[in-house]
Amino acid sequence: MTPLDELLLFSGLTLVFLLLLGRFSYAGKVATVFYGGQLLFLAKMADRIVDGSIVTFSLQVELFGQQMSWRFDALSWFFAVITLGAGLLSSWYASGEWGERFRRRGGNLWLLNVALAANVFSMLILLGSGDLLALFIGWELVSWASFLLMTVAGGRAIQAAMRYITYAMSGAMAILAGIVLLWSHAGGLQYGQIIEVIPQLSQAQVWLLVALFGSGFAVKMGLLPFHLWQAAAYAETPGPGAAFFGAISARMGLYAIILVLVQLIGLARLSELMIPFTFLDMRDLWAWIAVLTIILPTYIALRQSDARYLLAWHGIGQGGYMLLGLVMGDALGSAGGLLHVFNYATNQAVLFFAVFAVMFRTGTADLNKLGGLITRMPISFFAMLVGIIGLAGLPPMNGFVSKWFVYRSLMIEGEPLLFLGAIIGTLGTILSVYKLIHNTFLGQLRVEHVEVREAPWSMVAPMIILMLLIFATGVAPGLVLDWVALVQSAVGLPVVENTLGGVELASGSLDMLWVVGVLFAGFGIGALLFYSGGRTRQVHQLDNYAGGHFLTAEIRYHYSDNFYAGLMHLIRPWYRGSFVWLESTLGSLLGIAASLIQRLYGALHPSIYLLVTVVVTLTWVLL
Amino acid sequence: MSIQTLLMELVLMPLVAFVVGLFMVLMLRRIGAKLQRRVGPPVMQPLYDIVKLYGKKTQISHGWMHDIGIVMAVGGYVAAETLLPVPGMDGIADKGGLVTLVYVMMIPSLGLALGVGQCANPNGSIGIARALTAMLAYDVPFVIVVFGVAWYFGTTNLVDIIAIQQAGGVAGWGATAMPLLAIAGLFALQGMLGKQPFEIYIAPAEIATGPMVEMSGKYLGGLFVMQCFQLYTAGVLYVSLFLGGGENWLFFLLKVFAVVAIPMTVAFLFPRYKTEQMIRLMWKWPVMIGLLGLAFVMH
Repeated sequence: MTPLDELLLFSGLTLVFLLLLGRFSYAGKVATVFYGGQLLFLAKMADRIVDGSIVTFSLQVELFGQQMSWRFDALSWFFAVITLGAGLLSSWYASGEWGERFRRRGGNLWLLNVALAANVFSMLILLGSGDLLALFIGWELVSWASFLLMTVAGGRAIQAAMRYITYAMSGAMAILAGIVLLWSHAGGLQYGQIIEVIPQLSQAQVWLLVALFGSGFAVKMGLLPFHLWQAAAYAETPGPGAAFFGAISARMGLYAIILVLVQLIGLARLSELMIPFTFLDMRDLWAWIAVLTIILPTYIALRQSDARYLLAWHGIGQGGYMLLGLVMGDALGSAGGLLHVFNYATNQAVLFFAVFAVMFRTGTADLNKLGGLITRMPISFFAMLVGIIGLAGLPPMNGFVSKWFVYRSLMIEGEPLLFLGAIIGTLGTILSVYKLIHNTFLGQLRVEHVEVREAPWSMVAPMIILMLLIFATGVAPGLVLDWVALVQSAVGLPVVENTLGGVELASGSLDMLWVVGVLFAGFGIGALLFYSGGRTRQVHQLDNYAGGHFLTAEIRYHYSDNFYAGLMHLIRPWYRGSFVWLESTLGSLLGIAASLIQRLYGALHPSIYLLVTVVVTLTWVLL
Repeated sequence: MSIQTLLMELVLMPLVAFVVGLFMVLMLRRIGAKLQRRVGPPVMQPLYDIVKLYGKKTQISHGWMHDIGIVMAVGGYVAAETLLPVPGMDGIADKGGLVTLVYVMMIPSLGLALGVGQCANPNGSIGIARALTAMLAYDVPFVIVVFGVAWYFGTTNLVDIIAIQQAGGVAGWGATAMPLLAIAGLFALQGMLGKQPFEIYIAPAEIATGPMVEMSGKYLGGLFVMQCFQLYTAGVLYVSLFLGGGENWLFFLLKVFAVVAIPMTVAFLFPRYKTEQMIRLMWKWPVMIGLLGLAFVMH
């Protein structure tokens, strides 16, 4: 048995176990151990991956005369590590009090666990696909597994899931069309055959291929203009599911984009495809899609008043950084993009965990109904703090490093407008995540939350692990960059030469070991100064004056609603909802077309069809 | 460079920054006094103020994040100074570079924002919301400037940027080669310092000094120290990007004080802008000038 056999077998076993025995109370804990086991099997593969060799799957299936195979290379392995890490921690989070409460409140914990395992299993299958047919089947499995997990909560979640599956199916049709197009030229769907046939295709054909595959994969990734489904679908999923979705699910789109656009077609070929009536080529188009995906969803997130929606919208925006780094195509940019997949996953998971911990204790994620919880839930506060610093991309957390790589790549390649767009997205993120932590944990404590306690350990432990991971990979990004370099060489991108602390370049290096060291030394001096000052007296959290008025705890004065009033005053008219309008217009047009056809069937007599058919056939025969 | 020299530089650089910063605060007050036909404070006044604030008897803490916020506000700038080369001392400037410096400079603001947040005073929160909005306003022209400079000199390493400028004399200065970007940078600098006309986030008559509203004693003292560092950092960064850095300490200090004096003088001549007016202003003129400058630099 190869390590991949073991991994997929064990992952399947986890799913079967949960299907059959998932209703027992210990099932969640056992499943968490199983995810740990899957990670171990993945670790067993590591030395082969480091060697640059490919780990194969023993089983091969023949379908419609096509040989289907599965294998793991460095790219699959990298995404699988994040998938299993997210699965493990999400399952851990769900396995204790959270799951107990969820079940007591009438939630279907069995379905949640099964759906999570199905997601992990199907993603591993997708990541392992060794040809386009296997890729398509894996893609469909992932889509339906996601749909299953999205529907667990019922109610609004079902609506969101239906919207998702509509988008996903349209995307899948585009991908299928692309596959058929390739098959008609290459006569097979093995990656090797396709790499051979691509240079022989005309520009128009490659154009069509990129459009079909690109839009199909962009749906999953939530790239503009296919982003509308994602926020609600992810935010309405119960706690651990949302964290898992937020961390990795949408990145399957990125995996497929890397596989098809970078590995099979090649970024160089993209640069040759011009966009009609403009001076842009296909690669510029992708870069601009990435930047718009950074900016627009980030500023939509800024307006959210539900913490879950805020995070989910940021998730869409952060995907833009990954794509942007990747399409830059140089060692630095693509390393930044790939590194951001890992970094962002850790940040988003810890943020969702913190938000759902607050929800667990207070029953709400509404940013206008919280506040002052820092004294009640200090660990969750700290988890969110680490998460927002990472998400906003400030030192010393890992999110800074990946964004630094992307910025530097844009600077070296001379892309000022893309750079400006990326920074505008980062600034918007800073504003938005401060609002998140301020409205949740800072400011006035509400009277009804005075008795709130810290979340239970089963929920806090995954947060602590993620915090350590975020900090450690921020100080020593080389730990993950080593993997990223393997991925780059596996997909044929230029390889970054990293150090443990970052990267050394003639035009400006980064060494996080030093930067973070000095930062903490600075904090030490700041603390020394602070604590050498006079003695402080701590006042009670509810003992407050504002503008000279004594405010009792019953009076609500927490500044949370319309938080950036000055900014919104200026930019509110810019939110036009054009994409929502576009979507609803498409929906209405489809509805009109459907009812017209229905009318045609229902209103006209069958003999008229017969007559029309006969006339048309006769005319055709005669002419 | 031996490790002893490096450690010595890491200690000296923030210390020098603090002392110079104190004199900048003095200069700021003296300029204000001159324009308002007052005498102004004595030389040691800024230091006295800090000592007084740290030694106050009433020190109200609103919780541990309030304390840590002040530690981060001062500590972040202490760290930032080691990334900013001065004559004879490079610190760890070659290990971070311009982009890292820009981001490390956001840490003190984040610390302040978190600290103010825990005070649970709506005036403080409104102040922070406005300060962050102001950051969004002035950082857009600022990053255009950063990009232009990095592109022109082909590096983000401040040590190299300064060396290249000094090799060419005054003709090699960033301001000579990129005058439009230098103007845009000066604009952004004015916003960055948070002085008039861009001090809507303090607005004493309206939101009772905003972020400072719950800061007593050493908390306010910490913000005072932060201001010293802030003035110094902004001045030195501008000099490093556009005015050739420092050949020696005399010229260096002359340039830095001159750069900081410009926004200070302007500050006392203009009334306050509203938040949305500030954004509109910052996103219009300096951005246009900056983009034009960038177009010249890149072609």
